[in-house]
Amino acid sequence: MIAIYKKELRAYFNSIVGWLFLAFFFAFIGIYVYLYNLVSGSTYIGHALDSVNLMFMLLVPMVTMRIMAEEKHQKTDQLLLTAPISIGQIVFGKYLALITLTGIAMLMVCVYPLILAQFGIVNFAMSYMAIFGFFLVSCAYLAIGLFISSLTESQAFAAVMTFIVVLVTCLADGIANLIPGTAKAAWVTYSVIWLLLAVWMWRVMKNATVAIVVFALGECVLTAVYLAKGTLLEGTVEKVLGAFSIMSVYSETVSGVFELRMPIYYLSIAFVFCFLTYQNIRKRRYS
Amino acid sequence: MIEAIGLVKEYGDHVAVDHLNFTVEKGQILGFLGPNGAGKSTTMNMLTGYISATEGTILVNGYDMLEEPELAKKSIGYLPEQPPVYPDMTVTEYLKFVTELKKVPRKDREQEVERVIEVTQLQEMRNRLTQHLSKGYRQRVGIAQALIGNPEVIILDEPTVGLDPKQIIEIRDLMRSLAKEHTVLLSSHIMQEISAVCDHIMIISHGKLVLSGTPEELQKKANQGENLELEVLGTKEQVNGVLNSVASFKDVIEIPSEKENGYAVRIMSNEDVREALFFAFAKANLPIVKLVRNTKTLEDIFLEATSEAGEPVAEDKTQEESITEHMTKEAAEHDSDL
Repeated sequence: MIAIYKKELRAYFNSIVGWLFLAFFFAFIGIYVYLYNLVSGSTYIGHALDSVNLMFMLLVPMVTMRIMAEEKHQKTDQLLLTAPISIGQIVFGKYLALITLTGIAMLMVCVYPLILAQFGIVNFAMSYMAIFGFFLVSCAYLAIGLFISSLTESQAFAAVMTFIVVLVTCLADGIANLIPGTAKAAWVTYSVIWLLLAVWMWRVMKNATVAIVVFALGECVLTAVYLAKGTLLEGTVEKVLGAFSIMSVYSETVSGVFELRMPIYYLSIAFVFCFLTYQNIRKRRYS
Repeated sequence: MIEAIGLVKEYGDHVAVDHLNFTVEKGQILGFLGPNGAGKSTTMNMLTGYISATEGTILVNGYDMLEEPELAKKSIGYLPEQPPVYPDMTVTEYLKFVTELKKVPRKDREQEVERVIEVTQLQEMRNRLTQHLSKGYRQRVGIAQALIGNPEVIILDEPTVGLDPKQIIEIRDLMRSLAKEHTVLLSSHIMQEISAVCDHIMIISHGKLVLSGTPEELQKKANQGENLELEVLGTKEQVNGVLNSVASFKDVIEIPSEKENGYAVRIMSNEDVREALFFAFAKANLPIVKLVRNTKTLEDIFLEATSEAGEPVAEDKTQEESITEHMTKEAAEHDSDL
């Protein structure tokens, strides 16, 4: 595991990727701190961090796209999977390298409150809680990126998919607000989602009949609920989409409410996606 | 050392490996021979635990690949079809990484890297990035990687591909020297290569074992198919009379003679009786106009064994036919256009 961890970290800093990541990271944070703290005269770094989610769209794909896809592409996964280490160790070693890379960046961010203290009174507890929370959000996003990278052999595909997923999580709240809370809107939205799922099933299983049957069954149930008790569906779209909004939990922390829910939420996401990565590699051996 | 029992690998409907059974003893060099797509790489990938078998058991050094994968993998050094090198590492960096990966004790790592570099003669390339190496050198790095940690079993998938003739000889010598302490399993689609190095040969075709034995055993098998072609100016009775006086041949088959007043036969015989035949026919005043001894090489045995499965040949034919059909159709269309 340590071998993989060291190899990945070395790969980041031997190539341009690691340095580029740090450069972009500080460029983003710098701009936002300038706008939200220096220009608007606030000493609380949380506001800047809460608004910088745009950064994840760019930086997460940048560091995660190659991490699994490249191994498969270069066939070096044959070396790793035939070495006397478990798949869990491979995944964890790689994930740890990603965390370390972000950790280095976050350590530098820890200096910011000290700088801001020169200009006014800083609530250090809140500031560092905001920084810590931001680190946890990164951990969650990196795990998602890791998983997407393990799905494919193509770095470009992994990058684009990760970008889209991060984008959706960032825009989920906005999209939810656009869709009216009526039962009819909910029915249409769910039908579209269900259709997409059925298409995906058909692509994966290559069995059109099953996909059509599943789609028809789901559609019947959905329509029945809509016709019989439409009120049940009212306002649910917003809630469902809200669940995808990864940043929203963090926003609560930034506003000064620290709940245990926040670390548990992000660590669960990280764990689930690392586990999915592990399962995905394991499954590949059987196909 | 390696034991494979009832190995099966299915990809959907396609059966890549079909109930393969074999054992490799300690100190043996076993050669896997088969045409492209016979299931050699799939079998090796299963033996090393890269992919799992649909059915069957693999024991390496006594450890079950499914139940104790880490212990089993620890006893294997594997060179896959494509050397698994990282392009952004130098040769030394890469080999150092492999020592860490294979859990070589910290204090022995440097020494181990030096050892494999020396064995595979990579001294001059040690500080080059692997992406700048030629195919042959990359292959050597792959072999070096397989040797790290001195594993009991070394599995090499087509180890001499891309090497120049001098390197091939070096690698063959290396494999022979390895066999003193290790068990070596290698694959190839070239008979000469396998027969030059291995002391046991397994020929597989369509995922099935079709022939297995030592090179000597296979050669013996080849000799059984030897025959003599004889053409004499004389009648059938005369020729048969002389033949019977030389020895009692079991299979004498008449074949069409090129000469009008000649008679030709094919005689199945494992011994070389050309001299005896010459004198006997000379004595009987019957001129021999043709006497050919057809011997079989291991290559012939390989070709026979792998085409016996029959299916691929037939498939190829139908494909070819359909292609020609298609072409004539197209040509016809083209004509009508004109």
